[in-house]
Amino acid sequence: MLEYAEPVTKLIDEFKRLPGVGNKSAQRLAFHVLRMPEADVERFIEALQEVKRRIIFCSVCNNLTDVDPCRFCSSTNRDRSMICIVEEPYNLVAIEKTRSYRGLYHVLHGSLSPIRGIGPDDLHLTNLLTRFRPENNDGVEVREVILATNPNTEGEATANYISRLIKPLGIRVTRIAMGMPVGSDLEYVDEVTMDKALANRHEI
Amino acid sequence: MLLEWIEVHNFRNLSGRVSWGNGLNIIYGDNGQGKTNWLEAIYTLATTKSFRTQKLQEAVRFGEDLGVIRGRVARSEEVHRDLQVTLQGNTKTISINGKREAVARYLRQLNTVAFTADELEVVRGGPDARRKFLDRGVVSLHHAYVQTLADYNRVIKQKNRLLQDAADSEMSLDEVERIISPWNEQLIGLSAEIHRGRTDYVERLKDVLERRLFEREDITIRYVSSLEGKGDLGDYEALVAERLKLRLQAELSAGYSLIGPHRDDLEILFDGRDIRAFGSSGQQRSALIILDLAAISVYYSWHNEYPLFLIDDVDAELDRKRIRYLLEYLEGRTQTFITTSKESLVEEFMGRSNVFRVSDGMSEEIGPEMDLIQSAAKGAESI
Repeated sequence: MLEYAEPVTKLIDEFKRLPGVGNKSAQRLAFHVLRMPEADVERFIEALQEVKRRIIFCSVCNNLTDVDPCRFCSSTNRDRSMICIVEEPYNLVAIEKTRSYRGLYHVLHGSLSPIRGIGPDDLHLTNLLTRFRPENNDGVEVREVILATNPNTEGEATANYISRLIKPLGIRVTRIAMGMPVGSDLEYVDEVTMDKALANRHEI
Repeated sequence: MLLEWIEVHNFRNLSGRVSWGNGLNIIYGDNGQGKTNWLEAIYTLATTKSFRTQKLQEAVRFGEDLGVIRGRVARSEEVHRDLQVTLQGNTKTISINGKREAVARYLRQLNTVAFTADELEVVRGGPDARRKFLDRGVVSLHHAYVQTLADYNRVIKQKNRLLQDAADSEMSLDEVERIISPWNEQLIGLSAEIHRGRTDYVERLKDVLERRLFEREDITIRYVSSLEGKGDLGDYEALVAERLKLRLQAELSAGYSLIGPHRDDLEILFDGRDIRAFGSSGQQRSALIILDLAAISVYYSWHNEYPLFLIDDVDAELDRKRIRYLLEYLEGRTQTFITTSKESLVEEFMGRSNVFRVSDGMSEEIGPEMDLIQSAAKGAESI
């Protein structure tokens, strides 16, 4: 026999499908929903449905958007000569928070990982190369591509793969630096980061 | 560094607290009483791992949920730190001075070199055990090398999968090269780091190797790169790059990576002959002890302090003459922990060591002054 009535069990099972939600959390969430006012539940359902219905990938940069092209790609005051390549939409948000980067983006939705079955064809790369033609970029020539994939072996492989695609086109390809986090003391940095920072030191 | 005392609850059959001596500590007792368990407890406190089991949870006393090992380490005369490894259910928590700590930081607090039956694989087993011996050594000098190894293994794993997938599909060689290059590119850099780390470490070992500690025979070691004879090892990156290019078809046929330091070995010669194939069991043990001592020396010259030296079942591993040489050599150097069931050994070193008699998991000191170290109440209950 089920521990809870069928509808409750079903809800708990659905919550359990979500990442980071285990048995206990799923139960807590389900019971919270049971106590929620009807109107709140409706709003929640609507938000879920809307995100599925209205969010699409930008046809230019693959970022999540509700208008196509997305707000970055259609903006008139971004520097169209630079494209920053990231793995996931939330990586884009992290860079955007700096407010110092004013160029465009390209979202891959993943990184190369043979053991997870992800090859070059699984990354959103096909629409990258067409972006380099000025006629597809408001007449502006792309001068630089910044590779901002994650600093792990998969991110490195992805950056390397893309640089091999782009370099023959005569476009400058750069990789984000690795090293010391700013605003912290040297003593708090782990050895691996410190090691990288020492290896990547520069002359002043 | 010095382990002042250790306190154990529900770890194997152990309970209670033991205060160790600065020099030689002899853990003595009949078989099955828990001598090795004490050694294991020290090792676990230092490394958060066991040298006997992969599943540390198994080391918690049967029927108990919570196992604790606690110990005080003197890093200098005035700096003492309390380390603790707590095993509860399937979780392991580690802390320094009562505060939870990240593994990377914890591991530098107490360093050990352990001579155990398992470690004999270095002189008896395949190259994997010898590479691990070297990697442990490099890590003891450069902690960031842990990441290099992890990245290297990750890249090899990814590349192997790629090679298998490519073999199953009908990709052209050019196509394979295109998708494999990003991994090979990293492999070149990481291989070079590992090659440099290991060759540098072997040079350091050579400089301090007590080649004739026990016998007239001579022990020599040499790092053997799998790329030896294939080109100029001095320009290692270029050589790896060239070999990777040249051997792509072969790697594809094999379905796994053929080029890189995961195929290297450490050659250990005893009187010019391979110890693994031609050494007697005694010679193999001598060679391993000599390697361990060299590792301890290298550690000392780098950090200016000695790691702990653990030797399990010393009589089973070495004859009396060698034990004598060894323990005399260690005097004034490491804080050493040995286990033995031989009373004659205890008698011989009585004046120059702290002796602990283990019986049913409890340990009491029977030193020259015959003062009895407290045996904790917890332990008394278990009898």
